[in-house]
Amino acid sequence: MKRPTVFAVAVALMAAIASAQPRRTVGRGVLPFHDATIDNSASCDISTSPAATLLLPYFEVEVSKHVSEAKNTIFTVVNTSRVPQIARVTVWSDQGYPALWFNIFLTGYGVEGISMYDVVGLGVMPSTSALAPPGPKSAPNTDNPRFVNLESCATGGGELPKETLTGLQSVLTNGTGASAGCKVGTQHDFATGYVTVDVVNSCSNLSPLDISFYSQVLSFDNVLTGDYERIDPDTKSGNYAGGNPLVHLKAIPEGGGPTNKTALPYTFYDRYTPSGARKIDRRQPLPTSFAARFIQGGKARFFTDYVFWREGASVGATNCTSANEAMPFEPAVRFDENENPTSLAASTLTNTPMASAIATTSAMFPPITGFNVTGWMLMNLDNKAGTRALGNPFSSQRPSQNWLIVRLSAEGRYAVDYDATSLRNGCVSTAPVIAAVKAGRDQ
Amino acid sequence: MKRLLLILFAAVSSFAAAAPVHVVTDNNASCDVGTYAAATLLLPYFEVDYETTTASAVNTVFTVINTSRTPQIIRVTVWTDLGFPVMWFPMFLTGYDMETVSMYELVARGFVPVTYSGVETGAASADNDANPNHLQDIKCARVGGSMTPEMVKRLQRILTTGVRDTGCVVGLKHQHATGYVTIDVTNSCDLTSPMEPGYWTDTILFDNVLTGDYERINPDAATGNYAGGSPLVHIRAIPEGGVASSQASVPMPYTFYDRYTPAGAKRIDRRQPLPSLFAARFIEGGSTGFRTNFMVWREGITGATSDECDYAKNEKLALRGLVRFDEHENATSIASTSLTLPAASATASNAAIFPPMTGDDRGGWFWLALDNGARSRPSQNWITVQMYAEGRYAVDFDATWLANGCTMNAPSAP
Repeated sequence: MKRPTVFAVAVALMAAIASAQPRRTVGRGVLPFHDATIDNSASCDISTSPAATLLLPYFEVEVSKHVSEAKNTIFTVVNTSRVPQIARVTVWSDQGYPALWFNIFLTGYGVEGISMYDVVGLGVMPSTSALAPPGPKSAPNTDNPRFVNLESCATGGGELPKETLTGLQSVLTNGTGASAGCKVGTQHDFATGYVTVDVVNSCSNLSPLDISFYSQVLSFDNVLTGDYERIDPDTKSGNYAGGNPLVHLKAIPEGGGPTNKTALPYTFYDRYTPSGARKIDRRQPLPTSFAARFIQGGKARFFTDYVFWREGASVGATNCTSANEAMPFEPAVRFDENENPTSLAASTLTNTPMASAIATTSAMFPPITGFNVTGWMLMNLDNKAGTRALGNPFSSQRPSQNWLIVRLSAEGRYAVDYDATSLRNGCVSTAPVIAAVKAGRDQ
Repeated sequence: MKRLLLILFAAVSSFAAAAPVHVVTDNNASCDVGTYAAATLLLPYFEVDYETTTASAVNTVFTVINTSRTPQIIRVTVWTDLGFPVMWFPMFLTGYDMETVSMYELVARGFVPVTYSGVETGAASADNDANPNHLQDIKCARVGGSMTPEMVKRLQRILTTGVRDTGCVVGLKHQHATGYVTIDVTNSCDLTSPMEPGYWTDTILFDNVLTGDYERINPDAATGNYAGGSPLVHIRAIPEGGVASSQASVPMPYTFYDRYTPAGAKRIDRRQPLPSLFAARFIEGGSTGFRTNFMVWREGITGATSDECDYAKNEKLALRGLVRFDEHENATSIASTSLTLPAASATASNAAIFPPMTGDDRGGWFWLALDNGARSRPSQNWITVQMYAEGRYAVDFDATWLANGCTMNAPSAP
């Protein structure tokens, strides 16, 4: 038999191999038992697997331009199950004000693409109907035992009244015009915010600020998946697209009604859930600390933006969101290619709203020293609202939740988006201590 | 009033509770593959046009970061698209180090990244001898450098024609060098082959400290003019930690390197297994020239003890089923007996292997059951979706796995 006498191309580059012993631990160790699970929908780990809530952490829409020239964000929701599902889409301002919500009815295995330009620029919401004929492999449209009412799902979507559209654009571009009467978003050139997509049991119009939404409308089936594409057609400022999966937040455990208990220490919708039932949504919480690569400068004109989604610091059910306008985070540590760490003074004000995209050259991040153009940053994005003495909006003293996407671009034609690496999952209440990292101690 | 008698069922609270599952909220304690620091990284597919200049060549670049303060040694293995390990080399990463590897540099120029264990560390990094799981003599004083021209030609030949010196076919024929890459955390710069049991018993480590991403670049203004990127596949050791070959209670029913680990210690690598069942979106046709490719990594049917000429069997790995759903949920499928894909490939969603579109829709999604049926357990797989439009837009993103890799009985039809 010809056994594969594989050649290692690099052998010639190496010294001869000698058998050797571990540096300090001689002999083979036995690790203590460590509880783990192999079940689906049974951990706090976020992964690209069907979920009960999808998060589009950030969108940008250039409503003032024609669609063929406008920056836009498009996302798609897929129902991976045979049974029909209803998805509640909520468009939030960058400070966490729910500017618009609507329902989409997905037949079994249904897919729906949503252009934020259509919604925010044109005021056209996707039209879906519980009367649509299901596909041959799909269950009948009434066949989801979680549904409590389909009456309002007969004709979903359509056009927003002109005044509503004007108000929506105002909230998402300058934070004014909300019925709350206070400023609920940051001023930008483009309509900006984030989107959540929840599996629900009816086409209810209940506000996501109403605690009944979480106790009576939300469902718990991990059946949704989705992705987004952001498009910048401008040949001067962009000429590229980036895309990524949406953030998939599973219900743990999945299925059943709101009375089921969860082992999660807190949940994604913690700020909004009713007192006495703070974990009723059962959605996985998001992490606090991340590793994110950057590349900036150089002759290929590299740029990196970090796209942040951050949990708000305001009490969830309040209309006014000023507490979410500028939430602090501990200054990051930037490592260049030679592991030279730089950081800003601990007293430096680094803050963002709930949803933002910030260039890594910003003064918010430590500077690069030397001639390197690339490296990575270690970030603890806890907004500290969970540990403040008064007015903790969370159900416990804990770090805040966050998500981070890396956007790299080059040469005015290349761009990629991808998730930064979570250093711990959202159930672990400790984050890396930046001061320790800076001091050369373990995190 | 048109009342829709689509009504209703019992109150939500009266539904039966979901089947009990064992929930664990700790880190490094599940079979779910996500973007968390890991002990192995997988670049599921690469393509390099080594016959063109770097400025116009199709290329894949990947980056590896050591997220820990302590130094780490990694083993990079380049595999053919039929799963044959054609080249491997170690790299020494100081604490918090980052290294970028251009597959063009490797395949076209024969430059293996040079790293040193004697290099100065960053101010926040631990000393280069501070990893207690490393061997006393790590053999990393200087690793990497230039390959000889003969070695480079041999590497290029195997990655483009698949033909070894022995005449055995271990890869498919393509215009560009093609394959996949694994990156493992190890205890030394030892060069033991990944086909040898000693690599798994004496070299591989279990610290979930690596992260990384890839970018594939097509600079050709006529055929590409875009880039796509995504995280590498992060495969964690469960549980993590310990020296090489430490004994641990591994909860997974099998592991990522199951084909290579020694008999009697099949789960010694402790790596999370990859799933077999996926959902992947597509968009094709239309006035903007939409196209979708599926980059698919599949576990082969050959292992460490296979005959070299058996690697050709990894060309036509069976599938259990593919169903295409269009935007109206119209489902099309092809008999699974005629479906095959190799160990690593990028295939257009309108290729003959995929069920055809019916009607006028441009988009939809696929339900893909990729178990190759060769074992008593599902085989492992990964899918990355590549979408294109207008000759200037491209995105890569991971497809959605529908059941984690520890799921022994994933459904074979939707």
